[in-house]
Formats: sequence, structure tokens, C-alpha cells
Amino acid sequence: MTPTQTAYKNLIFQSEGYFGAYGGCFVPEVLLPGLQEIAAAFDEAKTDAAFLAEFNDTLQTFSGRPTAFTPLPRLTEEIGGARLFLKNEGLNHTGAHKITHCIGQILLARRLGKRRIIAETGAGQHGYATAAVCARFGLDCTVYMGKKDYERQRPNVYWMELLGARVVPVEDGTQTLNDAVIAAFKDWVEHPESYYLLGSAVGPHPYPAMNTFFQKVVGEEIRSQCIDAAGRLPDYCVACVGGGSNAMGMFYDFLDDEDVRLIGVEAGGRGTRPGEHAAKVLHGQLGIFEGYHSYFLQDGDGNIASTHSVSAGLDYCGVSPILAYLADEGRVQFETASDEAALAAVQRLARSEGLIPALESAHAFAHAFELAANLPKDQIVVINASGRGEKDLFITMRHFQEESLVAYAQHLLK
Amino acid sequence: MTQVKQPALALMGHLVLGYPTLEESIRTAEKYVEGGVEILELQIPFSHPTADGPVITAACREAVEHQRVSMNDCLEALNTIRQRFPEQEIMVMSYVNRVYAFGIQRFVEAMTNLGIRHLIIPDLPVDETPAAVITRHANIKLVPVLAANVTDARLDKLLNAGFDFFYLMSDFKITGSTFSLHPRLQQVIGRIKQTVPEARVGIGFGISTPEQVQTVHAAADVAIIGSALIRAQEAGGLETYLSSLTPASVGSA
Repeated sequence: MTPTQTAYKNLIFQSEGYFGAYGGCFVPEVLLPGLQEIAAAFDEAKTDAAFLAEFNDTLQTFSGRPTAFTPLPRLTEEIGGARLFLKNEGLNHTGAHKITHCIGQILLARRLGKRRIIAETGAGQHGYATAAVCARFGLDCTVYMGKKDYERQRPNVYWMELLGARVVPVEDGTQTLNDAVIAAFKDWVEHPESYYLLGSAVGPHPYPAMNTFFQKVVGEEIRSQCIDAAGRLPDYCVACVGGGSNAMGMFYDFLDDEDVRLIGVEAGGRGTRPGEHAAKVLHGQLGIFEGYHSYFLQDGDGNIASTHSVSAGLDYCGVSPILAYLADEGRVQFETASDEAALAAVQRLARSEGLIPALESAHAFAHAFELAANLPKDQIVVINASGRGEKDLFITMRHFQEESLVAYAQHLLK
Repeated sequence: MTQVKQPALALMGHLVLGYPTLEESIRTAEKYVEGGVEILELQIPFSHPTADGPVITAACREAVEHQRVSMNDCLEALNTIRQRFPEQEIMVMSYVNRVYAFGIQRFVEAMTNLGIRHLIIPDLPVDETPAAVITRHANIKLVPVLAANVTDARLDKLLNAGFDFFYLMSDFKITGSTFSLHPRLQQVIGRIKQTVPEARVGIGFGISTPEQVQTVHAAADVAIIGSALIRAQEAGGLETYLSSLTPASVGSA
């Protein structure tokens, strides 16, 4: 069942969790009642004017929406091709787009009378945002985080704990995001009365569609801001893809605008061999894992493979079933950017435009710079700066100024 | 090897194929059968066993990462066990991705050729599309794995879908936790027995002592033991542990 070329937007929220052959709800029976409860509540809430008004009000008053739409004139001139703009999702409270679906879901959890929230986190951005909304709405919060991520994203661990959340480092497997997802699901099995606030456009139904619904405000804002700034829609929208929440947020509103090209940039890591990257659409195989049918990085025998990215938020084995579907349809094009290219993009954006993107978002910039160089000057490229880079202080500082970092660490230990 | 027919203990013994090695897992299956285990539950190891506790997770990791046990290795091991025990009831447990990667249809054919009649795939709800490849097959059945929170509507649907073995989680636990029996299970079992009298009901998750086996037998047909058997095997006391679970030890059976 291929929709007509302009019907993708409707399909995503009317599909009961299937996007072409992808998506679904592949979980043990014990989790079905909880998921069905959330799906039913979301179905009601998404057309409930009072719910949507509170959602939008909280986005404005708590997170600072709308976020800025920023021209990049110096980079545009330096590169000499298409006009570049960025959507500054890093200006959101807690530093990334993640808080948007957290606000949506926490209002849903409250509507369901839930008292305890469970979440997983990779880079820590989703956990940090979850901890903030739990504190704001007075709900108990437990966040699972792969031990490797826990160690490389200490600042976010600290913020979560300051906000009153319990952060549990997960020592299983590769100690990254998918291990955190599994630990969160196990917690939910043991505490079925809790609300699992899953943090990307992945997982079983209704999470892929629900998080896309909450995040679609990003693309809606880009549409009006781009018209205000340039008098028309973008020619290209570029977003990094880990699970896919920021990409779906940016892309959703443009899905039926055939002239707006949508590009997802996956983590190319340090090579194309297994374990060196996190490029699911480009190098993965179809699978069914963590509740959904999509592309996964795995060995030829159905075991999930290890992944690598310099950015914890992209270091994940699966990709949104909605993006898998849109990739097969040719609606979203996929590219990769390497660790090195992402780090270079951080520095370039900082020096030329005074903006510091998260390492995740830097993948989108790295590709967009290459893309723009080969486009005529009348084209418009918008890049989703899904997060700001302060959380990466110790990673980027180690890369750019290792001696200074070591000296600072020694100073702190005195 | 000749098979000595043991009195049925209504025990289902779980093990992970390839743990600690493929050969030893075959030997462990033999010990289970010789120790009187009525049903073997043989798990295809998976890199990320999403519903299992630390003991089975560690066993899976050893089998996948260090023993490098492939699906073909598992099929060969199953074949070896089947040849030694032609009449033994065997259920195969796997997470869905391993079956999907192998090809669901191809997997079902391999299983039926081995005389396996039941598949336990906890992350494949019976009404998701890929399950149809299994549910439409006459000679093999999925085993629904249910917990005390199964809704009446869901249970009705499952009770009218032709299943003949229901696996109940003892409580809201992962495998290998401490044992408790959720009070609502009695009602769930009653509904199952009333609607599908010929269906068997097994209870698993956290069962380790003879007393717990006895508790389960009072409520259901089959006690399912996994992590405790792996722990006993690791401690070198598998035979002793199995004999402690025999009818003589647990009183009436």
C-alpha cells in the first residue's frame, strides 16, 4: 500500500503503528496493557484542545519555544554555495529538542494518573529533559543509562541527579543506549504501573508516532520562519539521525512538500566495518528488536552488533521505523558523517558563526557544508541544530585542547 | 542410547544452547531428561535477551560472544538431542530477531522437521503480522507468555485462537528473580481451564526450591525452571538439584 505522493503526513498518525512493513508492537504480553493504555490516551489527547493548549503553553513558558531560526551568513559566504540557516533547538531548556516530547509525554502521564516515570538515555539529553519535566510536575524519575555513556556524559548525569532523578548505570552488553532501553523495559515489567517515557521515534507503538507528533512543532516553526526570513520554503532540510526524533520533528511538516528534500545524516564513526559506525539505514539489515521492525546493525545471524560514534546520542543500533519507511520510499535520503567531520564541524560553526552545536547535530552540519558547496546560491539549506554543545565539553576539549583539559583536571584535584 | 521413561514431574527445564559450550549444553539437556524433566525448553541464545534476568543474560552472552554459537549450530544441537530422545517433548525459545534473521518460514520448517511442536517467542505477540507464518502452520504452535495484568479481552482472544500451552509469569518479574505467585493468576488459570480444558498451563520466573515447585503444581500443570538450573549446573550440583525436585522430595505429585 503505497500512499499517493502527498499523503505521508496523514499516514503516520493513522497507521496504528505500522509504516509500510515497519513499526509494530513487538513486546512481551506483559507490556501490552501499558502500551495500549498510553496509545489510547495519546489518541484522545492529540485532538483534545485543552491538552494541546497546555502542551503549547508549557513549550513556551518552560522550554522557551519558539526556538530561533538563524541565518549563517559568514559560512554561506565561506562555502560559496547555497544559503545556510540553522534551527536552534539547542536553545530549548535542557539544551536539546528532547524536552519537547518529554513535555508531551509527561502531560500524558499525568493525564493517566501515573506517579513514577522510567526513561532511558544515550547522550543524557533525553534523561536530563525527563528529569526536568518530572521535577516540574512532581513525578518520581528513574533514568537508565549505559555505563559507557554514564562515564562519557558525566555533566548530564550530574544535572539529572540535581533534578532529583535516580540515574542507574547499565553494565550489560555494550553499555550504550540499547542496553539502557532494555534495562528500562525490564524495570517496566517489574513496575507495570509506571509510565515508560521512551525518548526517540523508536520502540513499540505508540512511541514512534507519538514522539513524532510532539516533535513536529520543529518543522512547523521552520516553515513559517523560513518564509519570514527568505520568502519561501527550504530546498533542503538536514538533520542527524540516531533514533530519529529530531529528524522526524524537522521533517514531518515537509513530508508532503515534494520540493523540500529531506536528508538524514547517520554516524559514520571511524569506518564502514561492523562496530565502527552507527549507520543503520545505509549499512543495517531488517530486524525486529526493542519492540519494532526496522533497520538494525546486526551480524548475519540476528544478533545485535556493537555500534560506535563519537556522539553518544547517535550511538544506537536501530532507527525509527518511520524513517526506515521513508527511506525505502525515497522520501528521505540518507548520508553519513564521520567522527572527524563532526568534530571539525563543531569548530567551524563555533569560529564562523559563534554557535556551538552538540556533536550529534554536528553530523548534520558536516554533511550540509559539503552539500551546500555544490549547490547554486539561490538554494536554501536548513540544518537542525538539535542540541547545543556544552554537554560535550570534556569530549571536544580532549580533542581540541587535551593539555588544557588535563591541567584543569589536575587543578580540580588539588 | 535407549530412553528410560521417567515418571512425569511436570517440570519444564530451560537451558541456553551453547552455554557453557555447545557440547556441554547438549550434555545438560541429557541430564535434564535423565533427571526426569518432562519438557525441555531450549533457548536459542541472543545478544540482547530483553526479558531475561542476569543469569540467562550472562549465559546468552557467553554463547553468542565467546562460543560464537550460530543458528546452524543450534539446529545441529537440537537434532542431536532429538536423535537421542525421539519421544522427548521439546519447546524452543528464541527472541524474534534471531528467527526473523533466519527466515520465519524456514525456521518453522526446521522446527517441525525436528518434531518440535511449540515455540516460545516472548517478543512476538501472536497477532503481529510475522506471527501468522507460525500460527497458520498446523504442526506447530506459539506459546503465549502471559502475566497477571493480561486483560479479560486479551485473554478471551488468546483462548479462542487455538493455543494449547499457556506460559504464565509468576509475577511482575524478570527471569531468575525471587519467587512469588501473583494473586490474580488463579483467576487467569481458571479462565484458561474453563475455556480450553485440554490446554496445559505452565508457570515460570523465579522458581528454584522444591516448595515453590509444589506451590506451582497446586495451581498449574507445569513448573518452569531456568536460572536455578543454570546456577546448579555452574555450581556442579545439577543432578543433586534435579533429584531434590522429584516427587519423592516434594511430597505428593
